[in-house]
Amino acid sequence: MTAPRGTLNGGWTGFQGGQATTDLISILDTVDVPIVVVRRDSMIDCFNQAAADVLGLSPAAIGRGARDIPVLAAFPRMEQRCSQVITSGVESRVDVRDGSKRFVVRISPYTTGDRQVSGTVLTFTDVTAFRASIDQAIYERECTKAILNTVAEPLVVLSADQRIQSGNRAFYTMFEVSRDEAHGVPLSELGNGAFALAPLRQQLGDMLAGSQAFQPVEVDLDLTTAGQRTLLLDARPLSFPGHAERRVLVTFQDITAHKQAAAAKDLRSEEELRRSEAFLAEGQRLSVTGSFSWKAATDEITWSEQLYRIFEVDPNVPVTLGLFGERVHPEDLPLFDDRIDRARSSGEEIEYEYRLQMPDRSIKYLHMVARGFLDQAGELEYIGAVQDVTQRRLWEEALGQARSDLAHVARVTSLGVLTASIAHEVNQPLSGIITNASTCLRMLAANPPNINGALETARRTIRDANRASDVITRLRALFSKKSTKSESVDLNTVTREVIALSVHRLRRARVILRPEFADDLPPVPGDRIQLQQVILNLLLNALDAMSEVNDRPRQLVIRTERDEGKWARVTVQDTGVGIEPQGVARLFETFYTTKSGGMGIGLSVSRSIIESHHGRLWAEPNDGHGSTFAFTIPLTPSGSPAKADVEHAVGTS
Amino acid sequence: MMVLRSLVSVVDDDESVRESLPDLLRELGFAVQAFSSAEEFLASDSLDRTRCLILDVAMPGMSGPELQRELARLRHDIPIVFITAHRDETTRPRVLAEGAVECLFKPFSETALLGAVNAALRVN
Repeated sequence: MTAPRGTLNGGWTGFQGGQATTDLISILDTVDVPIVVVRRDSMIDCFNQAAADVLGLSPAAIGRGARDIPVLAAFPRMEQRCSQVITSGVESRVDVRDGSKRFVVRISPYTTGDRQVSGTVLTFTDVTAFRASIDQAIYERECTKAILNTVAEPLVVLSADQRIQSGNRAFYTMFEVSRDEAHGVPLSELGNGAFALAPLRQQLGDMLAGSQAFQPVEVDLDLTTAGQRTLLLDARPLSFPGHAERRVLVTFQDITAHKQAAAAKDLRSEEELRRSEAFLAEGQRLSVTGSFSWKAATDEITWSEQLYRIFEVDPNVPVTLGLFGERVHPEDLPLFDDRIDRARSSGEEIEYEYRLQMPDRSIKYLHMVARGFLDQAGELEYIGAVQDVTQRRLWEEALGQARSDLAHVARVTSLGVLTASIAHEVNQPLSGIITNASTCLRMLAANPPNINGALETARRTIRDANRASDVITRLRALFSKKSTKSESVDLNTVTREVIALSVHRLRRARVILRPEFADDLPPVPGDRIQLQQVILNLLLNALDAMSEVNDRPRQLVIRTERDEGKWARVTVQDTGVGIEPQGVARLFETFYTTKSGGMGIGLSVSRSIIESHHGRLWAEPNDGHGSTFAFTIPLTPSGSPAKADVEHAVGTS
Repeated sequence: MMVLRSLVSVVDDDESVRESLPDLLRELGFAVQAFSSAEEFLASDSLDRTRCLILDVAMPGMSGPELQRELARLRHDIPIVFITAHRDETTRPRVLAEGAVECLFKPFSETALLGAVNAALRVN
């Protein structure tokens, strides 16, 4: 359909001018924009090569109606438009679609040589690709808008003078302004001036001047709908080729929840740290143990609070080796210095006991354990624990004193059996004290310290110390001359006191207690504490005897009664494992005790006490389960108690 | 050190000993099993693994020295460290004569305990 160039009138199809230069014709033919000349009567006058190629015009179209041009078929009111142009002499443009192609048709007046408008010139500019790219751009813009409006984070574009240009939906929602209200408002006036911050303005200014960097800025503000919020502002520069003006995109990230969570977490970990510090401090206080660190190279020393208390030094005083030297007992100082030197050079574990001499000349006994390790800088550092074992030493000394007193008594009275039994009673808790305290010290000296373990062993130490202290109290009560003096004792009261002391044990042992107290029981002459010990011992033995009983009630009867007029009797009856009739005699031998928790002092001692009161203590198996222990004491005194004490005690074994 | 984590068994009817002594021995670097009676220890599977036995002298049922004789009869050469709260001067020479490594009187120090246990482990 393409007409070969130059075959028709030198190339300008239908051109009748005759005078036109060949040059002009060839120029028009090289233009690839279709040009068609339409006469006043709407007939095609002539057209160029591009019109033949693009619009598909053939030479046959010359002289025919313009409407016959296929592309103009869809051009409404073409004739009228052409007429208007001819009449007015003003050109006009029309968009025309031809299938997939789109053209902008320019209709210009066609002026002949005598300046008469004889028709119109139609030029067809193919805008198909141009239109498509505009449509694509519009589509892209709509997509971007949709995305931006879907983003929950508010975004806004600021002009070079930091005024609001446009934002996304989240932006207008957050600040409760419409697009129109916000446009042109300076950022510093947004949110009641919350953004009028010098660092923010400065940074945005720098960015608008070409900087790329922006340090996010936190802004606190009060929003009508969302309340108190914290926003994190970030920005990035926007620049467009061909646009001289720079703009910035500002994002608003709501970090309120994040900040609250972080604050809560800080609070929690701070709380945990405080708790663990409190635990350590409590553990140190309870176990009278302080801890320290010592950098061997610089002699930099830190003490825990408890260590300041042990050394009786003001916590504001800086700790030096010299301070140690002032407190360490002069006799122990050479050894102390030697240990320090050895530790400094070897890094080996330190463990030894030394004494402090306090300003008031009192002596403290300390037990120290420390371990060396290399710190991050590779320097030798010791971490250790120091325990004040003075109390333990005092107990040991008191016990030693009690033992030697006892030895004296034993020599005088031949109470050898008693001595052995009591020595056993005191050595048992003392052993626990030393073992637990050693463990405690090691746990605290560990890195990190085993605080829970140390607390537990410190508690055990205290428990064992109380056991030891109880034994001493009882020993004193048993052997001080004062205590052998008779007083008037109400056995009902004494028994009730023992039960009150044992309530927890009874409950823990799930024992049903049946007290049966006689109303008419007269007081007996005797030693209240000694008699309590006997009753407590019988009660604890009964609990032990029932500890394995699960097939019947664990029942304990404690009875007081008047016996044959002249005696008061206390009976303790259990439903425990019982005793063999032939074993009854052995029960009262020393060492035969079943070591029931260590509180009792043994049946042999109990019998000694009762016999020193001129009474009798015996045991018998029950008819059913269990056994019965009972003692009687005369209601009136007979003879000297102190003398009787010795005589009867000797008579037991 | 080859003595580390050796199994030390403690046999004592006193609960506070079974509570405190194993903790200290663990702190000192040993593995520990505690038994409340000689019978319980004999029936356990720790018998063959025990490198050192810390044994109370006076216990209800089979006593410490009785267990010592029973182990000898069964040809179990476990080094024994006796512990006792009775400062009875005849016990110590008697158990040492029968092959015990040491007999410690309660209360004993950590150093004495460690010395005795290490001496027992060296016997192995």
